[in-house]
Amino acid sequence: MKPVGRFGALSLNVYFWAFVAFLFAPLIVLVIFSMNNSMTPTLPLSGFTTKWFDQAFSNSELTGAVVRSAGIALTTSVFATALGVMASIGLMALRGRALALAVATLLLPLVVPYISLAVGLLILLQTLGAGPSLGAVVLGHAVITLPFAILVVLPRLRSLDPAMNEAALDLGASSLAAFRLITLPLIVPALVSSGIICFVTSFDEFAIASFLAPAGQPTYPIFLYASVRTPALLPDVIAIGAIVIVASLLLVVAAEGGRRWAERRLVGAGAALEIPVEEAAISVIAPG
Amino acid sequence: MLPPLLFVTVLLLVPIVFIALYSIGLRTNIPGNPTSFSLYNWKDFLTGGGGAFRSRFIYSMKITLFVSVVTTIAAYPLAYFLSFVARRHRYALLLLLLAPFFTSYLLRVIAWQIILNNDGVVNSLLWSLHLRPHGDAVTWLIYSNFSVALVLFYTWIPFVALPIFVVLENMDHRLAEAASDLGASRTATFWKVTFPLSLPGVVAGFVFVLIPTTGEFIAPLFVGGPNNQLFGNSIQAFFSDSPDWNYGSVLALTLIVVVLILMVVFGRFLNTDLRAGPRGDS
Repeated sequence: MKPVGRFGALSLNVYFWAFVAFLFAPLIVLVIFSMNNSMTPTLPLSGFTTKWFDQAFSNSELTGAVVRSAGIALTTSVFATALGVMASIGLMALRGRALALAVATLLLPLVVPYISLAVGLLILLQTLGAGPSLGAVVLGHAVITLPFAILVVLPRLRSLDPAMNEAALDLGASSLAAFRLITLPLIVPALVSSGIICFVTSFDEFAIASFLAPAGQPTYPIFLYASVRTPALLPDVIAIGAIVIVASLLLVVAAEGGRRWAERRLVGAGAALEIPVEEAAISVIAPG
Repeated sequence: MLPPLLFVTVLLLVPIVFIALYSIGLRTNIPGNPTSFSLYNWKDFLTGGGGAFRSRFIYSMKITLFVSVVTTIAAYPLAYFLSFVARRHRYALLLLLLAPFFTSYLLRVIAWQIILNNDGVVNSLLWSLHLRPHGDAVTWLIYSNFSVALVLFYTWIPFVALPIFVVLENMDHRLAEAASDLGASRTATFWKVTFPLSLPGVVAGFVFVLIPTTGEFIAPLFVGGPNNQLFGNSIQAFFSDSPDWNYGSVLALTLIVVVLILMVVFGRFLNTDLRAGPRGDS
């Protein structure tokens, strides 16, 4: 007997696809209204236009905020991923209580609420006598994304055959050369995944940025927060928002496709499909 | 190893220590205030005149618990569908479920604001279909408990389905087969075998929504009214609008402690089965 009967399978199908519709509805609403010829996003629709995109791209405050956030996110993802590789290599060498303590410390940012961390960082900045700055935002974002980098890179490192690295060392490579020539190329897919996750997280982060960014240099989320209260800006927000949404959906699909392709090349054909990002998220709960 | 540990220490642990110092008056941002040890703010929040913040905290936890329970229940059939019905395409469909999660949270919240507004998509749809007289809006759609809970539910459901799916995938399906071979009905097999075995995933999913929602403050900023602000919003207010970092630190530290307690309480249940590899036949 199959675990689900015919009626059960049908009901679950309907339930699942209804949820997919529910999950995508807000995204579709943004995309539709980005091309709707009306100042206000209401029904019925008022005809097709691309004028909001032109208007949004000539809004230098908005595009400036997007570019600023992209810069912060790029810096964050490189920085956090580098720290994540260092941490992962260090964790590989630890055992027992030291491992548990190091993992707990490194993954702590996952559970500390962003709002508490944000005000803590604000206090730290003030104590150091430093004002708000985009650099401070990058540091804050690197703290919250470091666990993601570790959770993506560490399983990949663990999956490597230690014999490969040992062979390189036996053949006379320095440990740095062995890392650069053997380990690094093998963890490239994980580095890309980590980079994407850190980028997306930073690009969208509001709590920390709202406390640490200088007043005249809003990040994209800060700009969004300020502008939804201004009806005249809403069409611009929706237009850029639609582009961001579509771009990130394409990125997710491309990243997943690219990852599968890379895994096949690295592991060889016929390798079992795995879902590292998601499984990494699970292993948050049961580290070590 | 050392640089990342040092990094987290300086930028996470040290700030928490500073929050603690502010909460007991050993440091202050208010010019002229004495900096000496005082539990005044703690007493005020826990037992004294800070009743407004206590009730804000209780309201927050109620919403959080409600959203976590409802989200977990609603997510279970999604995971079950992926693991037992979708079979061949389950990873592609899982990606479909998770994809919105990887797009901007703020934009999705703004989209919900556009949908639920008094002159938003839902109301204008009702008007143009003549289901309600023009201008007569369904007002509980936004700036209400409903809107805040809906946005949080919407945000976390894919992420709750995920651990349940992983547990269902890693489960030994021969156990369920054995149950049905021995004459158990589908319902009995599910409730006596499959569901108990999937509980670690259910708890994990519950925690995945409980932890972030406890500190949530963005959804109420966009779709909550003055009465639907969460505890996180109170913290934000103390550090921006009317700066009193001492009192704000009491609330910020309370939030950290509550989340850590939740983590310790529920973390114990999460240690089994979650790290096993994918089933062989995948």
